[in-house]
Amino acid sequence: MSDFLTKLFSTLLTVVVAVLASGGLWIGANLLFNQLRANFVRYRALVWGLLGFVGGVLLSGNRLTIASTSDGGIIARLVAWGWLPVLLALAASAVGTVLATVSSLRIRLAVGAGGLGAIGLVAGLLIVDSAQPAISITSLVASTAVGAGIGAVVYKLSSRTSSSAILIGAALGWMIGAWAIPELGNGTTAWSGIALMVPCALLGTRSALLRIPDQTERNQLDQRSRSIIFLGPALLFIFAALVVPTIRTLYLSLLDRKSESFVGIDNYISIFKDPKALNLSEWQAIFGSRLFWAALICFIAFVILAIRARRQTGHLVEFGSASSGPLIAGIVLLGFAVFTALRGTLINNLWWVLAVTLLSTSFGLAIAVLADGIRLERVAKAIIFMPMAVSLVGASVVWRFMYIARDSSKSQTGVINALWVGLGRLSTGSGLPTLIFGLVVLAILGALLVFAAKSLASGNNGRAVAPLVAVGLLGWFSWRYWGITGDGVGGFRFNGSGQQVAAPIYFVQEPPFNNFWLMVVLIWIQTGFAMVILSAAIKAVPTELLEAARVDGASTSQIFWKVTLPQISTTIGVVVTTLIVLVMKVFDIVKVMTNGTLGTEVLANNMYREAFSNFNTGVGAALAGLIFFSVLPVMFVNIRRMQRED
Amino acid sequence: MTVNSRRGPIDRIYGLLRSIPVGVLWLIVIVWSVPSVSLFLNSWRSRDAQRNSGWWTIKPGDLTLDNYDYIFNASAAGTIGESLINSMAIAVPATIIPIAIAAFAAYGFAWIDFKGRKTLFIATVSLLAIPLQVALIPLLQTYVNGAHLTLPFIDKTVTIIPNLGLVNTSTAIWLTHTGFALPFAIFLLHNYMSSLPKDVFEAARIDGADHFTIFWRLVLPLSLPVLAAFAIFQFLWTWNDFLIANTMAGTNPDARPTTIFVATLAGDFGTNEHLLPAAAFVQSFVPLIVFFAMQRYFVRGLLAGSVKG
Repeated sequence: MSDFLTKLFSTLLTVVVAVLASGGLWIGANLLFNQLRANFVRYRALVWGLLGFVGGVLLSGNRLTIASTSDGGIIARLVAWGWLPVLLALAASAVGTVLATVSSLRIRLAVGAGGLGAIGLVAGLLIVDSAQPAISITSLVASTAVGAGIGAVVYKLSSRTSSSAILIGAALGWMIGAWAIPELGNGTTAWSGIALMVPCALLGTRSALLRIPDQTERNQLDQRSRSIIFLGPALLFIFAALVVPTIRTLYLSLLDRKSESFVGIDNYISIFKDPKALNLSEWQAIFGSRLFWAALICFIAFVILAIRARRQTGHLVEFGSASSGPLIAGIVLLGFAVFTALRGTLINNLWWVLAVTLLSTSFGLAIAVLADGIRLERVAKAIIFMPMAVSLVGASVVWRFMYIARDSSKSQTGVINALWVGLGRLSTGSGLPTLIFGLVVLAILGALLVFAAKSLASGNNGRAVAPLVAVGLLGWFSWRYWGITGDGVGGFRFNGSGQQVAAPIYFVQEPPFNNFWLMVVLIWIQTGFAMVILSAAIKAVPTELLEAARVDGASTSQIFWKVTLPQISTTIGVVVTTLIVLVMKVFDIVKVMTNGTLGTEVLANNMYREAFSNFNTGVGAALAGLIFFSVLPVMFVNIRRMQRED
Repeated sequence: MTVNSRRGPIDRIYGLLRSIPVGVLWLIVIVWSVPSVSLFLNSWRSRDAQRNSGWWTIKPGDLTLDNYDYIFNASAAGTIGESLINSMAIAVPATIIPIAIAAFAAYGFAWIDFKGRKTLFIATVSLLAIPLQVALIPLLQTYVNGAHLTLPFIDKTVTIIPNLGLVNTSTAIWLTHTGFALPFAIFLLHNYMSSLPKDVFEAARIDGADHFTIFWRLVLPLSLPVLAAFAIFQFLWTWNDFLIANTMAGTNPDARPTTIFVATLAGDFGTNEHLLPAAAFVQSFVPLIVFFAMQRYFVRGLLAGSVKG
């Protein structure tokens, strides 16, 4: 228990210290720059003092100066370590103060170049032997010239009035030529002093040449520095945690497994050639699958309805026209036919995107519409929405228990298989329950038929569609249930000796449909997301619009398809793009349920295994790159939308 | 046709069937809650009961606390209490720190004038669709080795980030979360802050208030609802994350959050199957509380920025 408390305490302490330190730094920077408008001399003195202090700390902290290497007690060490930063801070602050008050150019140049140069000289002379540079004059001159040249180009391009770019460029070039290029440790003390003096003097000259800014310039300076203070931390984080790693991943994807040699796009080619990633050999199976023929029927229905729709409205497909239903159903069925025949990681990802995006969005839309305005609407929506709060790992565990399939001799402990096997028993039985259940289904069938007929009779064709579809499905169910053809429905089969035994569905184990059962987990979660967003959009449709449609005599379904749906189409687009991005990188569910075995591999899990288990950085990075490239179009869509909104 | 005339049986069935949509909705609601309910009920059943019969056979006398007792006290994978602390150690800083940083940036993008503001904003926000897989390998390398850059031409290696020993710590996890949260946070907070009334700012500027004062005294208090929305969003996201935690600290039992605890239990081929419901429920308990207590803010956050990557 004490371990527990220690851990809790140290964690809290780390967080508090981190937050206080960075918060203090940020507030301090703001207070400092408040002085810019209020009191320029104080601002200059503080900023220059701070720069001097930081310079001193860098030197002492890296043990680059003579004194900072001494031993002794804590006080002695602190003094030995700290006198240089304090001295540099005071000196630089003094120079800064003069530059902020005196306006005579001669004095400014003398103090700026001379003062800063002297500070640089002193600091350079104090540098320890092991860090003194062995300067080669040629490279020093060359580097300084290059720096000055770049500065000159910048100066020309930016059309500034002061020549400060050249001076800064020269100073930076000198620093690189004197400190970065040569070997450190073989130089002389004198050269070391000069090597630090010159760039300081150059920078001092640059500051001396600038006028003391007036109030307007100070305001501009304030705005500019504020934008850096406010945006800096965020941009730094994004740059370090997102931009640079992304570029580096794309670079690593062009190297071999240990990032040692350049292999071009070989990693990508190897992914596409791997039959585990993309296996098209079974393409003929597409035409043998029942899904394909169902899709074909849908497309035929679409063509018939579309031709009719064209005669009436002039368009083949519209939002909510009768032809759009079979079209969407046909696309989904065809997609499933293709994705169950062609196998591989890439195909799986496409299947995930199609199924989860489409089903989540349509379920979400349906629930949002059904729940709109009913009693206890909030309760119903909260329950549908709740899976959003559960982790994907937790949701996978939840569904694992739903999908349990046990040997036919044992009773089923998973809900779905219990129902499925139970239905099989019922369907093949001959007792009273079998009769009652069958009759109930028939009664519902009859009622739906009546409803559909009534709707058709009153000229309300739209309302008859859903009941008719339900009648079709229930009719087919009853046909099988009563054994008119085939052996009934449900989870059972006959064994060799003609006895019937339970036949549960092995949801997670049987490819290729185990993929779909994993998708159900994500659909279970994301339907709530789609519902919330779409429900808000539906409620935001102007009431006048709905009222006007009603006055014109539109039916409820007409209002939905012709008014509401077009109004929320942008929101549907947002939901779909968000889901595509989310589904492309699905990982947790596959990792927990199957870890990519049994033909359920997806890009993100494959990437994780290659990069962090097989240590094949090249292929891992290439897989990450593939995920990245596949969401790029969505990114562009988002950018376009934002540009339009402004 | 008057209201009460000709209420034949067919009309009555017709009227009954008109309420089918509501019935269908509640059926969906029930179907949607069955998975959670079955997990919850199973967590109170003994190992043998779970293995031999479905949760619908549960009787009040069968209930047991054994599973909870075991995962809190004796589990082979460490105790779940420890991983709850780890989850807190990740989720709390990963929520607070991005909020602060993003609030500064959102204010900067909304109310400080500078050149290229719009372009920079769009560039920043467009990053929120970046899949996090694409940054994992280099980030892990940085946590393991630090970051070093070999300069061209002069062939010297400069250390940009030293090796801080971050690998396998919760710090590495929340640092990563912070970076990934920022584009979304900035987008969300900027949307809100830029819609605050402009004259308030102008009046404050004329009175001589500087940006820091305006931000601290004016914008932050006004933005509390959206800050809360993002906080909940980010807390749930980081608490429930598995990928980043598993990549950055998956091998260190001392830094493992609850998601890894549950996934480890789930990964050992059924030997601890009976503990899973209890563990998953404990893992989900905190986010569920947060979710139900602050659902309003959560929904607002979703609505304001439903494009997170």
